[in-house]
Amino acid sequence: MSKIKKKRVGFVLDMTPLVDITFLLLTFFMFTAKFRSESENQQKFTIKRPQTTQDTAKLPDKDLVMIKVGIDTVSNDTAFYLSMVNEQDVAKLAEAMMALEYPGATERTALFKITDSTWLGKIVEQARMINPQAKFAVDADRRISYKWIDIAINEMRKKRATSFNFVTDKKGASM
Amino acid sequence: MAGGGESLGGGPKQKRGKSGKRKGKKRVGFRLDMTPLVDITFLLLTFFMLTTSMTTPQTMEMNVPPELDEPVEVRESELLMIRVRGDGKIFASMGNEDPEAPVNLKQLQQFVAAKNIDLENRCIVTLKSNGDAPYGLIVEVLDALNAAEPEIIQGLQRKGINERKRKFTVAPYTDEDKLKVEGK
Repeated sequence: MSKIKKKRVGFVLDMTPLVDITFLLLTFFMFTAKFRSESENQQKFTIKRPQTTQDTAKLPDKDLVMIKVGIDTVSNDTAFYLSMVNEQDVAKLAEAMMALEYPGATERTALFKITDSTWLGKIVEQARMINPQAKFAVDADRRISYKWIDIAINEMRKKRATSFNFVTDKKGASM
Repeated sequence: MAGGGESLGGGPKQKRGKSGKRKGKKRVGFRLDMTPLVDITFLLLTFFMLTTSMTTPQTMEMNVPPELDEPVEVRESELLMIRVRGDGKIFASMGNEDPEAPVNLKQLQQFVAAKNIDLENRCIVTLKSNGDAPYGLIVEVLDALNAAEPEIIQGLQRKGINERKRKFTVAPYTDEDKLKVEGK
């Protein structure tokens, strides 16, 4: 190409619309961002949720007692992990568990690792007393065997928590 | 660098406000370098975009009857048993019949729908699962039961019943159940 290009001196591009849109998106993502709660910070496992086809209800984000059943990534054992979602309930539950002398409970504990059904029954009872409106949600790994869920259902049933939720993922969602 | 901010300039011919009472030095082509600002904004934008997870988990609601001190009498012919064996095979049968061959989820859904329509709201679905069956499978069974609901409601409406009362319970897996589904 022998054509000599004219050199563009002081080429200026108006960046204002770009910056506008960028700020708009930034504010949107900042407001929608949800930060990890204390109990999630204390969690040392990931849960592969079971998948369902139907578009069922969404999980409430307050007044909730979460019973997670997960496989510990380090020790490879299955256990219940109970936590409450409301900020004030977390502190109350920790206090109640310290009063019951649960091994390893401190006022900073937000996620209680429980391995036997007796303690699960006790902590479910405490959670019911602290927040009677709270709903129960069972968030369990799809690979664990059903007996763990059976224990959890029975303990909740005994404490008159007969309506609860199973946390699932939509089929086809990336996990 | 292209700094943007053209509009800030205000060319020499443009008059600002009420014509020239201000005697300050007129800034011609004032330009602020916006590059660092844009850099940081993009950085934050990418951070927030990557950290937000848009998919909120779903839930599947379960209602189980409370533990009663006295057992409730039900007719065996109105009881629909779903048994899940330890190896993940599903068996469905009515309470007074013995389960036959294992069914898949599609067949289970059809069976549950047909029986519920036949029995007109009196059918009680009971789920009995071996402790060794994977939890993921149980949820899939429950999902199939939920998926059968619209069909049941339609079927009942065709019969002139507009109300749907769903009866569902979980029961322990006993040795008797184990024998019934063994070797099938």
